Amino acid sequence: MGKKKRGHPDLEEVISRPWCYYCERDFEDLKLLISHQKAKHFKCDRCGKRLNTAGGLSVHMNQVHKENLTSVENALPNRQGLDIEIFGMEGVPEDILQQHNQRIIQKYYQDQADRRAATGNPPPGQSGTQGPAKKVKIETPEELKKRLAEFRARKANGGGAAVSADGQSPAQGVSPFPPPQAGFPYPPVAIPGGPAVPVVPAYPGGQVYPPAFPGGPSPPPGAPSAFNLPARPPSGTPTTALPQRPPYPYNGGGAPPGFPGAPSTGDEHAGAARHGDDIDQLIRMAEAGIKPAKGAEEGAADKKGKKDKSRMFYSDSDNSPEEKMALLPRYRFTATAA
Amino acid sequence: MAPGTQWEVAQPPNDAISSLEFAPDSSKLIVSSWDKNVYLYDVGANGADEATLIRSFEFRAPVLDVCFGANDDEAFVGGLDQQVYRLDLTTGEQTALSQHNAAVRSLAYSREHSILVSASWDLTLHIHDTSSSPSAPQPTITIQLPGKPHAMASSPSKLVVAMTARLVHIYDLPTLSKALQSQTPASEITPWQQRESSLKFLTRAVACMPNDAGYATSSIEGRVAVEWFEDTEASQARKYAFKCHRQAANDEEGGDIVYPVNALAFHPKFGTFASGGGDASVALWDAEAKRRMRQLTKFPDSVAALAFSGDGKFLAIGACPGFQTGMEDYSGEGRTHIVIRELGETEAKGKGPKEK
Repeated sequence: MGKKKRGHPDLEEVISRPWCYYCERDFEDLKLLISHQKAKHFKCDRCGKRLNTAGGLSVHMNQVHKENLTSVENALPNRQGLDIEIFGMEGVPEDILQQHNQRIIQKYYQDQADRRAATGNPPPGQSGTQGPAKKVKIETPEELKKRLAEFRARKANGGGAAVSADGQSPAQGVSPFPPPQAGFPYPPVAIPGGPAVPVVPAYPGGQVYPPAFPGGPSPPPGAPSAFNLPARPPSGTPTTALPQRPPYPYNGGGAPPGFPGAPSTGDEHAGAARHGDDIDQLIRMAEAGIKPAKGAEEGAADKKGKKDKSRMFYSDSDNSPEEKMALLPRYRFTATAA
Repeated sequence: MAPGTQWEVAQPPNDAISSLEFAPDSSKLIVSSWDKNVYLYDVGANGADEATLIRSFEFRAPVLDVCFGANDDEAFVGGLDQQVYRLDLTTGEQTALSQHNAAVRSLAYSREHSILVSASWDLTLHIHDTSSSPSAPQPTITIQLPGKPHAMASSPSKLVVAMTARLVHIYDLPTLSKALQSQTPASEITPWQQRESSLKFLTRAVACMPNDAGYATSSIEGRVAVEWFEDTEASQARKYAFKCHRQAANDEEGGDIVYPVNALAFHPKFGTFASGGGDASVALWDAEAKRRMRQLTKFPDSVAALAFSGDGKFLAIGACPGFQTGMEDYSGEGRTHIVIRELGETEAKGKGPKEK
């Protein structure tokens, strides 16, 4: 793609952002991610020492404070385990990685579609003269199902070869995520063995969060994925024991500096941190099954972040809590009751 | 006995804790509760990580404060029934010392001067001379206060009384002692110093430095102030206050939730102090270096009371639900805990430049 679109990084940049396994927050670069992990997830609550990994913290707690670490601090409910050794982006299980990418991709297309709907701009590569006839190709559910069926058949036949049979070998060196033009090269995630839930990314008003994330069942380790990602070598090693991953394929982009990298809110310049918090909140809400009223929610959150709205747990400056308690029937003393 | 271990007392009071204190010379811990009882524990006896309940003493009304007297077998008790008692911890005998016209909020005993001071919501202090035998009538002086007392603490030579309207009066204990002996009329007894609290909100706790140099106060608005007794400009310029015991609210309203700092206690040796707040955490501070040394979190509930043992080896933490604005009912029943933390050698030791 020739020209850079204003303020909206392309998918490659978005997807190449490092993110934290424990809280799904994403960061401008790996250094920031690592310092986030040290501060938020690997910090000793006894002495404040920042360790490099959960395992390191566990050893530290054990040796220095004689205590046992049971879970990772500030982590999402199903990511608190100490069995996975995470450092930066190292050690993230393949299935979790794919879930994350899927979510990013969906969000990306969702936001793009939202923007187009809002501005009325045609998709890139289409000038006005070409008319509305050449709209984004949106597959009907039937087509999708057909494609899914084909894919499954291929998978059933070819097994691990499914990826290369796709005709898009990752070895070609190009990004596996071409610019979003005609159609959607990303078939919906098929959870192997699970019910096929086609999620069409660009359907306006469609579901933003993949149903499989993050509380849902994760694909078994080493399972062939519906993605055009280079799959893990089908060695069959259990996911939990894999500190080394296949090389990260998305680094080709070299994201230009100065992009906040927030695909969702093009008009928001509050910076990556603010955005990260929003994501955290959105994830939590999604987990709880709450759909935020997006625009209003974000606006409100921003306003409140600026004001120091502290609330006092106990605010009566004339009477102490004890005086109030002394008046309760439970504690009241009457001089006659000897 | 690994350093820095902590354990919970097996038989805590049945309701909220109002105060706790270690005996100056032994590992006995005395606890007063809203369930009308005073509890006596032995902490870490025989080197075991446990505290055994020696016995409990029932009173007529919820007990608001308790303190040890001249020895480990004598305690003083005050509470909602408006009386000040001397309690013999071996026999359980209760002797009424004086009668206030409202609940007795806090007690302070000075070993050096054998003086017991009781502060009551009837806006008076009663100064008791405890040097005479318990049975003999004791001379008592009643001092009128300009505000309702909420917290009181004594250092070797000073008595700090914190009241409503941010009033802080500091009395000189030797002067009070002399007044008791000479039966000086109460009207002639004036505070050694009258100050305005450095904190804008209601004072919650006061604790004095063991080296007699100053004191710390805390308020309902998550803040602690440290001040020095010496009334010179240089000394007063040293005083400071800081925010603590606050938590970012996780709900959509945002902002901080500011908790009251319910308890303060100075370490008997290191000059450091601990603060306990409604956020269920305890922080250890280095008063000289103005630094937080350690934060102990995740106590079962709001921290209501704190005490260091006489040798500085243990820190007792009383946790029970905090009373919140707007509460119409309250009960600490079944939710009251006492945690004993055995401090590591250097855990409560300051690292400041003025370290001794």
